[in-house]
Amino acid sequence: MTSIILLSIFGIINLFVGFMKSKRILLPLSLLFLAVVFGANLFSWNEAQSYFNHMLTIDNYAVAFTGIMVLATLLLLPFSQHYIEEANENLAEFYSLLLFSLVGAIMMVSYENMLMLFIGIEILSIAMYVLAGSDKRRLRSNEAALKYFLMGAFFTGVLLFGIVLIYGATGSFYLTDIAATAAVNDGTVNAMFTLGLLLLVIGISFKISAAPFHFWAPDVYEGTPTLFTSYMSTVVKIAGVAAFYKLMAAAFAASYAAWFPTLIAITVLTLVVGNIGAVVQTNFKRMLAYSSVSHAGYLLMALVAFNERSDASILFYSLSYALATIVAFAVLQYVSEQRNGDETYAAFNGLGKTNPLLAFAMTVAMCSLSGIPLTAGFFGKLFVFTAVVQDARLMWLVVVAVLMAAVGIYYYFKVVIAMYMQPAADAAKIRIGSFASFMLIFITVFTILLGIAPALVSDLL
Amino acid sequence: MTESLFYFLASLTLLCALMVVISRNPVHSVLFLIITFFTISGHYILLNAQFLAAVNIIVYAGAIMVLFLFVIMFLNMNKDSESRVKTSTLSKFAGTIAGGLLFVIMVAAVKDTTIAGYNADTFTSQTGMVETLGAVLFTQYLLPFELASVLFLVAMVGAVMLGKKEAGEQHF
Amino acid sequence: MNFILSSLIFTPLLAALVVLLLPVRRQKAIKAVTLLGTLVQMVLAILLYFRFDGSAFANGQQGYQFVEKLHWIGFSLGTLGRFQIDYFVGVDGISISMVLLTGIIGVIGVISSWTITKNVKGYFLLYLLLLTSVTGCFLALDFFLFYLFFEFMLLPMYFLIGLWGGPKREYAAIKFFIYTLVGSLFILIVMIGLYTSVIDPQATAVQLGLIGAGGTAAPNAILQVQQMLQQNMVSSADMVRTFSIPAMMEPANFIPGSLLHVLSGVELWYLPIRFIAFLLLFAGFAIKVPSVPVHTWLPDAHVEAPTPVSVLLAAILLKVGGYGLIRIVYPIFPDAGAYFSILVGGLGVLSIIYGALNALAMNDLKKLVAYSSVSHMGFVLLGLASLTTEGVNGAVYMMFSHGIISAMLFLVVGVIYDRAHDRAIQNFRGLAKVMPAYTTFVIIAFFASLGLPGFSGFISELLVLLGGFSAPEATGMLPRWLTVVAVFGLLLSAAYYLWALQRMFFGKYWIFPELRAKATITDLNFREYLMLAPLAVLALLFGILPNLLLDKISVAVTGMTQLTLQNGQEQLELVLSSLIR
Repeated sequence: MTSIILLSIFGIINLFVGFMKSKRILLPLSLLFLAVVFGANLFSWNEAQSYFNHMLTIDNYAVAFTGIMVLATLLLLPFSQHYIEEANENLAEFYSLLLFSLVGAIMMVSYENMLMLFIGIEILSIAMYVLAGSDKRRLRSNEAALKYFLMGAFFTGVLLFGIVLIYGATGSFYLTDIAATAAVNDGTVNAMFTLGLLLLVIGISFKISAAPFHFWAPDVYEGTPTLFTSYMSTVVKIAGVAAFYKLMAAAFAASYAAWFPTLIAITVLTLVVGNIGAVVQTNFKRMLAYSSVSHAGYLLMALVAFNERSDASILFYSLSYALATIVAFAVLQYVSEQRNGDETYAAFNGLGKTNPLLAFAMTVAMCSLSGIPLTAGFFGKLFVFTAVVQDARLMWLVVVAVLMAAVGIYYYFKVVIAMYMQPAADAAKIRIGSFASFMLIFITVFTILLGIAPALVSDLL
Repeated sequence: MTESLFYFLASLTLLCALMVVISRNPVHSVLFLIITFFTISGHYILLNAQFLAAVNIIVYAGAIMVLFLFVIMFLNMNKDSESRVKTSTLSKFAGTIAGGLLFVIMVAAVKDTTIAGYNADTFTSQTGMVETLGAVLFTQYLLPFELASVLFLVAMVGAVMLGKKEAGEQHF
Repeated sequence: MNFILSSLIFTPLLAALVVLLLPVRRQKAIKAVTLLGTLVQMVLAILLYFRFDGSAFANGQQGYQFVEKLHWIGFSLGTLGRFQIDYFVGVDGISISMVLLTGIIGVIGVISSWTITKNVKGYFLLYLLLLTSVTGCFLALDFFLFYLFFEFMLLPMYFLIGLWGGPKREYAAIKFFIYTLVGSLFILIVMIGLYTSVIDPQATAVQLGLIGAGGTAAPNAILQVQQMLQQNMVSSADMVRTFSIPAMMEPANFIPGSLLHVLSGVELWYLPIRFIAFLLLFAGFAIKVPSVPVHTWLPDAHVEAPTPVSVLLAAILLKVGGYGLIRIVYPIFPDAGAYFSILVGGLGVLSIIYGALNALAMNDLKKLVAYSSVSHMGFVLLGLASLTTEGVNGAVYMMFSHGIISAMLFLVVGVIYDRAHDRAIQNFRGLAKVMPAYTTFVIIAFFASLGLPGFSGFISELLVLLGGFSAPEATGMLPRWLTVVAVFGLLLSAAYYLWALQRMFFGKYWIFPELRAKATITDLNFREYLMLAPLAVLALLFGILPNLLLDKISVAVTGMTQLTLQNGQEQLELVLSSLIR
């Protein structure tokens, strides 16, 4: 609760600071705000409390996911330096929108009432629609905003319809009430309940870009300015998956049989479409878009398993995925800026020679995304897989996922090949601010640290 | 009396909503949408929720739809510009089948469900009145109500940011 | 506690850290540190070899020597028991030979790398990382730890081929990477499956309160736990699941009703799930061995890799495949091992013949040597499939001896390539006239490889064939004609080696005119003597005194073979009976 209030206030302060002539103070200020929120959030650890007529419950689940999302924002903000350098006049708005959208994200991991979920999703989404179109000089960005907005609005309608049908069947917006009604009725109250549940699943699947509701992702990711794509594919996705799990665990645990077939189909489709789609891309950013689809699939696997390890696996996977994705987008941003907006694999040619730091950070990130041992991503996958195989009938799902992981390595290593084995087209060194390079090193070390001692995070929940 | 009024309003709502989608002229679409909002407000009145009925008309029919009309007139959308968008027969087919299936499922779901009618003993006619609504909004639903302000702030900031002129911006 | 194994694993890593801290310009220092690191590792390996007691047999939880066990990652899964990964290393007769090999080849590789000029720091960093992961692979007794090292091995190798390789290096590197990775993912699937099916009896005993925490292994308590487990008397919450390989080897540790329990009765594609698991694991390791038909990455990788990397690849990395089969696949799935012996043996013989025929057709000397590797590693599969004491001993001996000899072969190829920048057989004639010392080493290497008595290759081939011929009576595994066919492989290998020798080294001195401008054909220098001579001596030493190695390995191998055979027959009946039911 403290973090929600703090973030709302800090967002407004940011807007006012934006009136000042010099925009240089905005970045350190925003980082300070986020650090304060991160710290304040930790005070609620082990002190579960519910607020305002059980609208929100800040339990360890909420604190952990809030922590990860705030941390991800904190880590990706330093890469907004080029906005400061070009003295973008909307800088204050960018930062405030990010802070505000975090409010929505936190609501999504701590809600107890469907209304809160809906408002949370909307706060997060509307901020993202705006940020997707924030680069008005590029037609692509306009396209992304429009596509994202139209599709998003449509699927928000689907989600809302689902919530309404559930309300009609159970007479409550509260997760606990819904669960209680479902529990005494064998998990399926009536056909309206089931229909509402499926519409809810579809609505949230869109938000986390799970196939077949992923079709917007490549275009939107490509058009959105890279910094915000990074935010979109980390914080928005984590919030979506965390909200999904919370919804299923708190309200629809008894209805497992009703949503399991749908969800497992979505999961398999997401894994296959995401990975196969990524293989054929020549644009690195589009590849990352498909890769984020595929990672939604791995995250959904933990949800499908639906046992005591699910939440901890989702948590660890989210963190490892966020760390690697932030690095990938940050490096992409630096490289494409220097190569006049070129975002293909070819833009990375020879990066290993010209910019060893960027190349190394990228290599570790790619290893983590593809799940090579001694990186966080490996344990992320391992935890998800072990959660799934607790149910022997789901062994085949692990086999599919493992094969898809092998496909993943092919396209993740394409960029590594380009960086180390292709001659450089442009030998100029890319200038990175010292703070940004410190952040890159920090994230890389953190990724490796989690690959050696995953218990730092995996034991939290 | 009330029942026949309900069926009249309901069929009118559906008809107008359908026309919003079907009509080729965007201005007609907007006008049909306004009628739809009016009929929905009629439903609210039937439910003894006068406040909601009024708000619905003021906000949606009044403010938003007028804005819509303005935008459409500014963009000067007419039949020529609309006909550029071609949808393939295949996607029309797919859309029809998918939409039809969803419709069938919905109908089946509603038919399968027995919805409990209202209980005359516990029913209070004041549920939809502005006092009750206000009381609920500021007690039980205080938090979502307040947080909705963040939502609007975000939308406002975004609108201003996107609306501002910027050097070198591009449009479709 | 004895830290010799950890020192073995982490000495190269320590050296890598030092290299990392050295500035790029200090090339001499980087090489010196690498050499020092590998020398220390070799000394440790030799020390370990002498201190290792070859008469002790490792079975189950006991018997491994110099064991180190530390809890690494562990947490409670609630009602699903506990998740536990240990840093669990130990050495037995099978791994001791591989560790010794790694120590020796590590040093030879550094000497051979001395002439590397391109990005020296990166090269030696990766080289040391590779050595760490290979050593870790050979010493790990926790499946998870093994997998970690196994998978991590790919990265340095990928870069070593991809950055320092020949003209088609990218293709070769990614082919190597994808092949091995798909294999290791198969292994991952089975590993996770095994993890859900196996408990650690000792830790479970602690959990049940039968022995105090940190208590030593009490055989009675473990036996009791295993009995309770098989009678479904251990609740799921008390089970401590484990990745420990020794625990997986004992059928009594499998949870009744779990996926890979012998009586699970689960079928997939008309085969028991245990057989599927065996096939997946076998495929994973066969890619590494490599066995026909999944060998095609090997010639490409060898042709493109620089000489020292080829040496490491052929001498050590391939052995991880064979080692995995002996250490993991057969002991854990003895039933499927017995059932599929004809498949494993058949693929082995196919590799022997197909590899040899390919070698015969090659014009590139390095490709010839690469295919001879495929051919010789086929003997490892054949020996293993026979499941006789002789055969498996021969397989282990073959891995060691092939490590020494193939290293020498690739070094020899590297020597001519360094001088002429070409290695096509038809471009040279009569090299013996100008390079007599070199020719001597070539002859030693060729003859050692084709199995001339007196060299280590002979002993191993002899043992494998003995095992193969006695298998029909002793274990009932392989048909005799299979081994007969394998013998033809020996003839073929004599043919391609002698033919190459005749074409390149004998007759009047002549080299291809276009090469003459660049080529400076001189005899061996001091550095090349330094790397070739020790290998030649070792090949002779282990050929004349096979007991030097057999004394250390045979007890362990015999024990493993008998246990596998016995468990295999028993479990095979159970598996098949559970299906009929």
